[in-house]
Amino acid sequence: MSFDAAISRRTVLGGAAVLAAAGLVAPRAGAQPAAIRLGTLTPLTGAGGSYGPSMRKAMEWVAQEINAAGGVLGHPIRLVSEDDQTNPEAAVRAARKLIDVDKVAAIMGTWASAVTTAVAPLCWESKTFLTTVSGSDTITQLPHQGYLIRTQPNTHLQIGKLAEFLLALKVKRVFTLAAQTPFAVPSHKRLEEILPRGGTEVAGIVVYDKDKTTFRSEIDQALRSKPDMIYLNGYTPDCTVLMKELFKAGYTGGKVAQGYAVNAKLLGSLPREVTDGTYTATPSPAVESAGYKRLARALGTDDLDPYSCQCHDHISLVALAIAHANGEATGTAVRDHVRKISQGNGQKIDSAVEGLKLLGHGKAINYEGASGPCDFTDAGDILDCKIRFDQAQQGKFKFVKMI
Amino acid sequence: MPGSLEQIAQLAVNGLVAGTVLAVPAIGFTAIYAVLRFPNFSVASHATIGAFAGYVVNTAWHWPAWAAVAAAFVVAGAAGVVNDRLVLRPLRPAGALTTAIGAVALTIVLENVVRFVFGNDLRGYDLPIRRDWQWGPLRIGPQQVENLVIAVVAMLAVFVFLAFTRTGKAMRAVADDTTLASLKGIDAERVARLTNFGGMGLAGVGGMLLGLDTSIDPLTGFRVILSVFAAAVVRGAIAGLAGAGVPHGGRLRRHPARADAAPARPPR
Amino acid sequence: MNGRTDVENYLVAMATFACLYALLALGLNLVWGLAGMINLGLVGFFAVGAYVSALATKRGGVPIALGIVAALAVAAVAGAVMALITARLRGDYLAIITLGFSEVVRLVASNEIWLTNGTDGISGIPGPWRGRVSPVAFNVIFLVLAALLVTVVLGVLERVRHSPYGRVLRAIRDDDQVAGVAGKHVLRFKVEAFALSAGVLGVAGALWGHYTSFIAPEVFVPLITIYVVLALTAGGTGNNWGAVLGAFLVVFFMEATRFATGWLPGLGPVQIAALRESLIGLSLLVILRVRPAGLLPERLPRVEPPPAGEAAR
Repeated sequence: MSFDAAISRRTVLGGAAVLAAAGLVAPRAGAQPAAIRLGTLTPLTGAGGSYGPSMRKAMEWVAQEINAAGGVLGHPIRLVSEDDQTNPEAAVRAARKLIDVDKVAAIMGTWASAVTTAVAPLCWESKTFLTTVSGSDTITQLPHQGYLIRTQPNTHLQIGKLAEFLLALKVKRVFTLAAQTPFAVPSHKRLEEILPRGGTEVAGIVVYDKDKTTFRSEIDQALRSKPDMIYLNGYTPDCTVLMKELFKAGYTGGKVAQGYAVNAKLLGSLPREVTDGTYTATPSPAVESAGYKRLARALGTDDLDPYSCQCHDHISLVALAIAHANGEATGTAVRDHVRKISQGNGQKIDSAVEGLKLLGHGKAINYEGASGPCDFTDAGDILDCKIRFDQAQQGKFKFVKMI
Repeated sequence: MPGSLEQIAQLAVNGLVAGTVLAVPAIGFTAIYAVLRFPNFSVASHATIGAFAGYVVNTAWHWPAWAAVAAAFVVAGAAGVVNDRLVLRPLRPAGALTTAIGAVALTIVLENVVRFVFGNDLRGYDLPIRRDWQWGPLRIGPQQVENLVIAVVAMLAVFVFLAFTRTGKAMRAVADDTTLASLKGIDAERVARLTNFGGMGLAGVGGMLLGLDTSIDPLTGFRVILSVFAAAVVRGAIAGLAGAGVPHGGRLRRHPARADAAPARPPR
Repeated sequence: MNGRTDVENYLVAMATFACLYALLALGLNLVWGLAGMINLGLVGFFAVGAYVSALATKRGGVPIALGIVAALAVAAVAGAVMALITARLRGDYLAIITLGFSEVVRLVASNEIWLTNGTDGISGIPGPWRGRVSPVAFNVIFLVLAALLVTVVLGVLERVRHSPYGRVLRAIRDDDQVAGVAGKHVLRFKVEAFALSAGVLGVAGALWGHYTSFIAPEVFVPLITIYVVLALTAGGTGNNWGAVLGAFLVVFFMEATRFATGWLPGLGPVQIAALRESLIGLSLLVILRVRPAGLLPERLPRVEPPPAGEAAR
């Protein structure tokens, strides 16, 4: 939604330009200080529809906070938001509009790996920065020339820590039930690489079609190998079914899942006896971060989903990078400056507003966000990240440990 | 090896279980198909509507499960009647396939109406989840047995209704030949209303059962719709009937190999 | 300004997408508008074409033009097989089975990782002169190419429509028994029409891959089929020019609703997104109701006696 009347006026004019279909040049901003235009591209319909809305809300909140505190070096942020419909075709059209009509410096919040991979070439070709929460390892291997970062840890990092956690639990046999995603098999391979070293057996994997209504045969196959831990590597809708069916099947062993799949909403929609005991793994800041708490308060929830936290960090990082580049609101400026505010020896901060203030005073900063430390490799992957493990108890998450 | 035999038996049970969930909306689909003679793809969104109707009365008003199922039937059935009257009936003269395309459009609209009102969040019923029964090497869930009972009852009800009641016979007459039926004084509109109420009501019950097994969100019906169609096609092909529960007798349907002149034509 | 693109680039890109939709609508029109067979799985043939050309050019190293030809050929064969399998089924069964076909294609693309790279999809598909010219120039080149292909296909299909061959297809559409009695080999005509149509859909898929450089199973969802059906219905079923017009209208409509959402205060993002998607369905319903023949109704090439069954309506 628009933050000020100017946005809707702009979009109306933009719409008129297209409606006229006469190749008009987009109207320039008026007399007020030039706004910094940033785009959000999250799934509001389709399979990702349960994640996208709060991701977008998180970004809108940060933009509001920054603007209320005087903007980025006096320039207000104007957020232009589009729905990627969880579909690459629709996403490409939406991204073209964000890039060409709205001339955004960055597109933030793409969720599905296929959407990110489809949109990425448009971004690097037009020198627009792209920030994503997609998990597929192949995304950072694209020839993106630095115009891409992702805050979701890759499988190497994430599953490495998960394996460490499972070894500490001294589980004997782990079976994976994975939705068909680009990271299903790589995750399993990573487990196979680490777990046997600590004496834990990797019993097997079933990759399932996530739109199925029942996974009884998949579960039978898993239970035949008598695991004492089942790794549910899917999304919320299919994990809901799996949890119910594991309970029905009388399975009493351990369950572990990603925090974005088994989240507060899932706990709320299922009886406690079905969910209790399930461990979740969530990329997380090193301490009980103040940024996380503020965002949780702003969005009115106790349990923020990891994607919203990551989107909170996307826009914060982009805004800080633009400020570090002396207000140059381009994708190239963000690319060249984002690592100068996200990592290094500067003062640790967890909010964009605070960081902008410090940058204004000429201080060096190191942004540590609501989703983690946000330090990036040259390829755009998270350098290192603490993974927070929780356990569902009495229908609520209880903190277990941080690895 | 007894082990693998047991596995095959369990796979068969699982298949049956998966099938019964789909059977209920599939019966609704075939009933409408049999009488109104077009594939009404909007069973998908009516199933979703049923799931949400059951959800509202179960979680907001704390009605018990059977009442939620009844609410799913009534609300989805009523929605089916209204939607047919407003949207699909005017398209029927243009042919079965035009109406089918209209039904696809309708299902998109309805899915988004649900999304508009309820959002995308996943929801669940406020009902306990029961452990499966273990019969020797086989396991089956109480919920699945109930689903099976509901499916069988629905099938029987449709059969008895169509075969033995006056209205049911009228429906078959309409299905057979609308013009002839109207000559005999059968009110085709009333028959269409009843068919839609019953068919979409069953879709709604199916949606609620799906919601029990999976989760409730705007895509609950859409996710399984292809399997429902597949179930309906297989049922139709195996039984050689014009849909589930419709007995042979008279000229119930045209020969399947013959392309109907009317349905196979695009709007002109 | 530093390599940035402009509104013109957006309009060029959307025109290109409209051309791809026009190819899809033309393909559908041949089989549905002309021969009276429904294909609700057209996105499946779109996918087959996209994968064939992407694999041929990226893995096989063949030139793009050859990849497109291969896409046409393989999609056409798939279409012919589909038509043979379903030849004895009634129209509404065909609707269900073609819908199922598109899902099967999507499942194969997701599962046969050795061939299709699974849900990761295939990225870095080459495009004509991509990388050697600026992205803006590539965009323009591709629009010219796509428009050229639309013109060619439109020309060919118009020839078909006006030819005796097209007359036979219309006769089959209106009553295939009569056509059969008149000595026409109905099955052969149906298979040929379905194959040619699927070939056109395959070409559209190949172009989509070469244009966006990335394909994945998630691209090929039933929603695209619905957009194309909407395009053809809006433009005028049976009219090739109508198919093209409808495709441009659908893309224009989908894009215009982005800008229109600024006029709706007080709604949440999900509600606006829901409204946008339902508008697609609503507009299709309105057209079916108000102007079922479309904006450019079919005009028969020459005066014919009313086909059998007309009176029954």
